[in-house]
Amino acid sequence: MTENIRINNPNVKYTDTHIEAQYCYHTTAVRRDGDTLTVTPSVSELEFRTERHVPRLGVMLVGWGGNNGTTVTAAVLANRLGLTWRTKTGEQKANYYGSLFQSSTVCLGEGPDGKEVNIPFRDLLPMMHPNDIVFDGWDISSMDLGSAMERAEVLDWSLQEKLRPHMSHLRPRASIYIPEFIAANQAGRADNVLKGTMAEQVEQIRADIQDFRHSSGVDKVIVLWTANTERFCDLTAGVNDTAKNLLAAIQSGGEVSPSTLFAVASILEGCAYINGSPQNTFVPGAIELAVERNVFIAGDDFKSGQTKIKSVLVDFLISAGIKPTSIVSYNHLGNNDGMNLSAPQQFRSKEISKSNVVDDMVNSNPILYHNGEKPDHCVVIKYVPYVGDSKRAMDEYTSEIMMGGTNTIAMHNTCEDSLLASPIILDLVLLTELCQRVCVRPQGSETFQSFHSVLAILSFMCKAPLVPPGAPLVNAYFRQRACIENIMRACLGLPPQNHMHLEHKLQRGFLPRHDNRIYDNVTLIADIHTNLTNICSNDTVGRTSI
Amino acid sequence: MTENIRINNPNVKYTDTHIEAQYCYHTSAVRRDGDTLTVTPSVSELEFRTERRVPRLGVMLVGWGGNNGTTVTAAVLANRLGLTWRTKTGEQKANYYGSLFQSSTVCLGPGPDGKEVNIPFRDLLPMVHPNDIVFDGWDISSMDLGSAMERAEVLDWSLQEKLRPHMSCLRPRASIYIPEFIAANQVGRADNILKGTMAEQVEQIRADIQDFRHSSGVEKVIVLWTANTERFCDLTAGVNDTAKNLLAAIQSGGEVSPSTLFAVASILEGCAYINGSPQNTFVPGAIELAVERNVFIAGDDFKSGQTKIKSVLVDFLISAGIKPTSIVSYNHLGNNDGMNLSAPQQFRSKEISKSNVVDDMVNSNPILYRKGEKPDHCVVIKYVPYVGDSKRAMDEYTSEIMMGGTNTIAMHNTCEDSLLASPIILDLVLLTELCQRVCVRPQGSETFQSFHSVLAILSFMCKAPLVPPGAPLVNAYFRQRACIENIMRACLGLPPQNHMHLEHKLQRGFLPRHDNRIYDNVATKMVLSTGYHASQQNGVCAHSIIIFSID
Repeated sequence: MTENIRINNPNVKYTDTHIEAQYCYHTTAVRRDGDTLTVTPSVSELEFRTERHVPRLGVMLVGWGGNNGTTVTAAVLANRLGLTWRTKTGEQKANYYGSLFQSSTVCLGEGPDGKEVNIPFRDLLPMMHPNDIVFDGWDISSMDLGSAMERAEVLDWSLQEKLRPHMSHLRPRASIYIPEFIAANQAGRADNVLKGTMAEQVEQIRADIQDFRHSSGVDKVIVLWTANTERFCDLTAGVNDTAKNLLAAIQSGGEVSPSTLFAVASILEGCAYINGSPQNTFVPGAIELAVERNVFIAGDDFKSGQTKIKSVLVDFLISAGIKPTSIVSYNHLGNNDGMNLSAPQQFRSKEISKSNVVDDMVNSNPILYHNGEKPDHCVVIKYVPYVGDSKRAMDEYTSEIMMGGTNTIAMHNTCEDSLLASPIILDLVLLTELCQRVCVRPQGSETFQSFHSVLAILSFMCKAPLVPPGAPLVNAYFRQRACIENIMRACLGLPPQNHMHLEHKLQRGFLPRHDNRIYDNVTLIADIHTNLTNICSNDTVGRTSI
Repeated sequence: MTENIRINNPNVKYTDTHIEAQYCYHTSAVRRDGDTLTVTPSVSELEFRTERRVPRLGVMLVGWGGNNGTTVTAAVLANRLGLTWRTKTGEQKANYYGSLFQSSTVCLGPGPDGKEVNIPFRDLLPMVHPNDIVFDGWDISSMDLGSAMERAEVLDWSLQEKLRPHMSCLRPRASIYIPEFIAANQVGRADNILKGTMAEQVEQIRADIQDFRHSSGVEKVIVLWTANTERFCDLTAGVNDTAKNLLAAIQSGGEVSPSTLFAVASILEGCAYINGSPQNTFVPGAIELAVERNVFIAGDDFKSGQTKIKSVLVDFLISAGIKPTSIVSYNHLGNNDGMNLSAPQQFRSKEISKSNVVDDMVNSNPILYRKGEKPDHCVVIKYVPYVGDSKRAMDEYTSEIMMGGTNTIAMHNTCEDSLLASPIILDLVLLTELCQRVCVRPQGSETFQSFHSVLAILSFMCKAPLVPPGAPLVNAYFRQRACIENIMRACLGLPPQNHMHLEHKLQRGFLPRHDNRIYDNVATKMVLSTGYHASQQNGVCAHSIIIFSID
């Protein structure tokens, strides 16, 4: 990746290997005394260091032969090959629409003409291009990816014809199949399953990861679960409560779900593991293992369709002072995900994942909701084979407006489930890979530290975000997006987006003329070092004067 | 208003009359050389000064007897009186749901238990409480507000019964009626209209404002147009292109719309003027007059329903990398606004106002849209008397997703138009009033300056925001909201919301323990006078010092 953004500021240093940025991180602490809230702002000086070299990335998908697995693989191939194909309305080009990094933009500032300069999100920092990802994976169905793409009924036929030669020789590795965790109706697909004890199966998965790494020549592997939704796993002391007990349970053959087995194998191989389904893969023992081994884990459940819009609309309503009182969501779909979810235990996992998405927004507004009050919230999912991958989501939002008035929004949303999920899979692995190259050193600390093993910055792409203990859970779409943008800006020493446009709001302008003097690396090195301690002196001033 | 937020920071000073905050404002300049973009961050040091005393506010509504006018007046009365009323589902209390300031919250930061502390938006700075607003206004219909409330068919009957004694004594002043600007079907309502020349009518409006100010004892008056949508006014050199020509045209009786006449009268009285309808009230001459007189103007057209959701959904889709390709919006409504809009010229004003709402979001994404490309966008409004004030908006958003896929969102939205617009009217006047008490002094400048006369911070509440020349037009809902929140935070010396939660995202925490030592005003007075000014030079915005050291 070539970097095409250059920050012209002595607080940002480009070495051969890293971008090093001095950053002032602002927080506030609030204390309540009776009716008065005392707000104490403070500033932490942080140094962000981002590795510039982008590695060759391999991604291993669990459920590679499913609709998401085949679609994301096909999309990357089609983009890499620059394919075009005829549809009845004209020629279609391969693209990555729906990907935060590939197809959305961020504003960098104003150009000399006073207009905002917007760049692709992916250009903010050196990131993998999805075209360069090497895919591999496992599936309980042995079907090759060409045939599996046909079975998925997602991509245009004329595109499938062009892709088949590239897809047919891709065959999923044998996967772990424990029938009790997924719906009984999946038995017919399970012709490609590992044998042996649980421990032996985990060893095989580890061997697969090693084999892929060596045979493909990738520098780094990330493993992502896009297979069937499993039922929830019982949390049992002595079985999955600690890393040690979990590893012991695998040896003795206790209750451990396939997704947790994959997570454990990945973590032991030092590979980040992302859970794209709703089940509780990350039992406490799995989280502890990831923390111990300094490996990233993230999840749960791709936020692609109905829940994504819900995390926009409910945030909008509550942030406008309108009170949602009832949210009813009906879904029907006819792909294999729908078939699996038609079993009660698997549906239950999905229901839990979808149910908490409005909690953070509701809790943020004590004017509209008294303590403990929540809107009614109901989720129904039905399996309707005919609609295939073209999922329907029908939502009704009823809200209370001023003086007892009612606002009713009914919404009908149709789209190819896998075409929305695939770009999110790409965003998840690309952001994870980037986070592996970022570290932070707080002032006064000797050493750099990495992000927490529970990679909460991926919340944006997840229906039920996993966050470190004590961390706030944010589901609100635009807050989640701002989080990613502002952390990536911090890696460049750029302050958070403020959206204020103050320079256009006062009677007279106050900015210097468009100023783009290039900061001269050589002459300023001395100044930087003398000034570093002053960067966040906002705070220093406050504290020393106390 | 009692302030219940206290900022514990030596950069923020509370005097008897003002909150004075030192603030570092960050911007970036971007230069393109071939494929490389060079980003130069810079910091401006600003001093925000906010008057703490909240004045007695009077609001004069043009179209006071309409659905919005009666509903907002009734809502304020019901809230002030603490009214409750029975409905078939139980007892209902008066409230201000749908008001940004009264019913939404902002996050101040984590409390000692680590949980986010959210406070009502209105508590960030001293603001007028809507219960304390005194209303007055004009209407071309002479109906008293009690009867007009009944005509509106908006509020529950049992609430109307309780309010009628308080509303019936309110009578709109005679208004300006120039038939050609609104639909012919409005003629039946026009029984309360000013006579005389255009100039005389403007004088009467000015006299009304003065009369209201004196008789009610309010210290400040804001005038807001919530009357009929007018047809667009021709922009004609010599008539409305400059302040001087506009004033002359009023004297000679040229083409000046009633809404522009009200705007001119307000500006000449030094009263902020807000346009809640779509027409081009603010012809260049009116804007120039406002700038000359240092009076705030803002508009256009309340963003209350369909357009508000559109400015959320389209922003969401484009910000997620999804490409909206067709947006079709059907509306039907049966109130007087709908009847007036059934005339082609008035509908045209509305259509223009609604049409540009997605432009900023489309232009922000050159990956999805090549230069000049836009989604198809179609807006239909029909008058269907039966549905009354209960407006229906039916939208279809078709978007292109990955690999030629299609996402179709169809939406049906029902609500009482006036119950959504009324809290927005309150937000508009309360924020305008607050802005009149805020001023800013950039470092190096001797004097404080006020906001620009074209009060762009009100964009959040407007379908077609009016902004100063050269300023970016933002329609995206969450960006507009962040703008208000961050400017109000700046008045308290608080940096923008960053949503990063970095202290929870690293392997180890780095924040000091919950630190709430109270900054001691007395003990540090000396430090402030000796050390603080020095800190303004090289402390508060040390970033900028580094930049200065470049050359």
